[in-house]
Amino acid sequence: MCHGGCGVLVYTKKGKVAKIAGDPGCPINHGTICSKAMASAQLAYHPDRLTHPVRRIGPKGSGKWERISWDQALDTIAGKILEYKESHGAESIVMGYGTGRENEAAIYRLANLLGSPNVLTAGHFCYGPRIATSIITCGSNPIVDYENHPKCIMVWGNNIVISNPDEYKGEGFSSSVEKGAKLIVVDPRLTRMAARADIWLKLRPGTDTALALGMLNVIINEKIYDRDFVENYVHGWEPFVKRVNEYPVDLVEKITWVPAGKIREAARLYATTKPAGIQWGVAIEQQINCADNDRILMALMGITGNIDAPGGQVLFNMPKIRNVGQFGAHKMLPKEQAAKRLGGDRFRLAGYFGIINPKCVWDAILEEKPYPVKMIFLISSNPVMTRANAREVYRALEKVKFLAVSDFFITPTAQLADIVLPAATWLEMDYIGDFWKRHGYILPRRKVIEVGECRPDHEMLNDLAHRIGQGEHWWKNFEGALDYILEPMGITWQDFKKMDYIRGEVKYYKYKEKGFSTPTKKFELYSTMLEKWGYDPLPKYVEPVESPVSTPDLFKDYPFILITGRRIPGYFHTENRQLPWMRGLSRDPIVEIHLDAARNAGIGEGDWVIIESPRGEIRQRAKLFAGMDERIVSAEHAWWFPENGSASHGWADSNINILTDNSYESCDPAMGATSVRTLLCRIKRDKNQGGNS
Amino acid sequence: MKKYAIKVDDAACWGCRTCEVACRQELNLPDGVRLIKMEEKGPAMVNGKLDFFYKINLCRHCDEPLCMDACRDGAIYKREDSIVVMDYNKCTGCRLCIDACPYGSIDFDEDGGTAKKCNLCHERVDRGLIPACADNVCLAYCIHFGDPDGIAEKIEKQKLIRQGLSA
Repeated sequence: MCHGGCGVLVYTKKGKVAKIAGDPGCPINHGTICSKAMASAQLAYHPDRLTHPVRRIGPKGSGKWERISWDQALDTIAGKILEYKESHGAESIVMGYGTGRENEAAIYRLANLLGSPNVLTAGHFCYGPRIATSIITCGSNPIVDYENHPKCIMVWGNNIVISNPDEYKGEGFSSSVEKGAKLIVVDPRLTRMAARADIWLKLRPGTDTALALGMLNVIINEKIYDRDFVENYVHGWEPFVKRVNEYPVDLVEKITWVPAGKIREAARLYATTKPAGIQWGVAIEQQINCADNDRILMALMGITGNIDAPGGQVLFNMPKIRNVGQFGAHKMLPKEQAAKRLGGDRFRLAGYFGIINPKCVWDAILEEKPYPVKMIFLISSNPVMTRANAREVYRALEKVKFLAVSDFFITPTAQLADIVLPAATWLEMDYIGDFWKRHGYILPRRKVIEVGECRPDHEMLNDLAHRIGQGEHWWKNFEGALDYILEPMGITWQDFKKMDYIRGEVKYYKYKEKGFSTPTKKFELYSTMLEKWGYDPLPKYVEPVESPVSTPDLFKDYPFILITGRRIPGYFHTENRQLPWMRGLSRDPIVEIHLDAARNAGIGEGDWVIIESPRGEIRQRAKLFAGMDERIVSAEHAWWFPENGSASHGWADSNINILTDNSYESCDPAMGATSVRTLLCRIKRDKNQGGNS
Repeated sequence: MKKYAIKVDDAACWGCRTCEVACRQELNLPDGVRLIKMEEKGPAMVNGKLDFFYKINLCRHCDEPLCMDACRDGAIYKREDSIVVMDYNKCTGCRLCIDACPYGSIDFDEDGGTAKKCNLCHERVDRGLIPACADNVCLAYCIHFGDPDGIAEKIEKQKLIRQGLSA
């Protein structure tokens, strides 16, 4: 299940889902849909799905469970929460979520009211950085206005036609390209988008900031920026120009491997074609330069005059509802508890936005520093597969005193839990879809079916809140919460569920009247917030911790740059490998390697290979691919094997995060993002050519 | 008689493979049987530029179907509206049609013991619907169904718009 946002029509037969199709009336997807959405019925009715709460009765990882009732499960979890709050403080209890079920605001609400500042999410290296950096730069996340068809689109570290990057669907992008938009693609790999691009910038992984600084150098020195915007609406222009001048294009060519001529060409095309949008994505955030990558791309959007322009990138208004920040009850977290946020002193941009770096949690469990974490409650999260340095994650979850998980299946993470709760899919809940997004729409998600005893996370949390003494801040049932969110509009859930969608007021160039919602009221090229927190207020390029440049000796032993997490159709991170339709699209984990490199290593098409980093080794199948530099390999992430009969489901066999690094030094210093896309590895043919499952 | 054809505008395809799953959802196909499939082409040098694209392979509903000629059981027939239909009740699983198809578009259902091919959702078409894969599913709108000349014209026109040569 992805984080949604497509209008769909669900057809039922005798109370069961028979077919799922796109809703042609939905302004977001216009009736188109992806394979994952269609396969949702296979998810909902999967024979292996967990349909009642269970308690572990063997050692962790033994796969021995017994059925318990919801009351037993929630009373046990509530009892542990109250016990550890009493004995070790609320901060010893970590709540966590992954990407996917739109339960974020409810989880934060519970944690904040409990007094725990520790909510463990993907926010340090996925989307959270876009929100945090855009709020400190221009007040909100600038969303490409595909409805008004940009004339130039620069896709940067994103595969929008395969993935579901937060606010966006591929359809809007595709339609703009089909209408003739110029296309620039920044990607180390030749995607179909790169093949169709007018200009493909084939950069060295992890050098995005340098490339963008080089483009800004061209735009500023050739004076092809928007002078009105720069003169009237920007903070810090002069120091910014000085910084940009430290990155002449010839130097940038050396850093990025992109020819200077192409950098100039792309800079001119982007800056002089109006309107233009930058379609950015997660690849630029999973690096040491995470926050500066986001900021430098916003600088490009800003000084070219594309911010809040029709067909550019718009700071859309949400409908007048209680937003995720209000619903998340962040103001209810006492200041002295907020001060205890794990890693809050080190990763200060993240900490300000309630986001934590995962290693801080593993350390608090394993080393009990700065204080012990005793309990974790993970809701739609599988960190054993999806967080860097998976072996450390596994050790921490093995050691933590109490682990509760809410999910669809007994995942590799759930195998380490004390209690697992059966979660509902999108087909099984009433909710306000896209409540957290910044494209300005909300959509009613109506419950269609019930499966076993599965419950939506929101309802589960509402119930749990009553059991830990938060009842006064919650509702009799979660419909009350939906009414609370909608109340400022003067409607209830019962009204909203009859509607198709609500859109916030669409207004362009709002900054011309009100300025930007930042401390200086300007578009902050020079960040006063970062300066206050003791960071460089201007974006700069930092070499990845492991690279041919920073660790040349290591590069001799590990002679490939490893990119991880290439998106493929059908899967959503660790999800969907049980579903026959999805698994039929991609049976095995694939690592792409250049033909010449493969030939030198004696690796043939489809061979099982061993990929090794200084942290460990795993196996995937080789795909020979000429569409990238021969010094790069690209591996898929989040692979486990539900069909593997053992309780471990082969979690460590092909899990790319066995190889990734999570040392604090390798993380973005402001955001705590782990650099899972820029490491070094070596690769060899496996002597054992058998499959993984 | 109205003629029907299906054609994929490969230039527009992003490789999302939604068509493959739409086909499965419609026909409830056994695992492993694929009537429409995405194939990767390249990377290869084309006109001095490294190209990479997807090609969607499905039955072309040929004017003179070689599969029909090869079938000894009369299980394959061409309708007046051009749709080439395989009648699974008549198929004996001899696989001669698979050998005869020049496009590799016919698959075999090991469990059912019959060949399987795209019948262009003829039962949907007979009710005035369009085939599942072409029914506004994928983000590229690249699968076109209808009158063969009309489709060709549409694809040609889209090519000009994409290249900025037409509005």
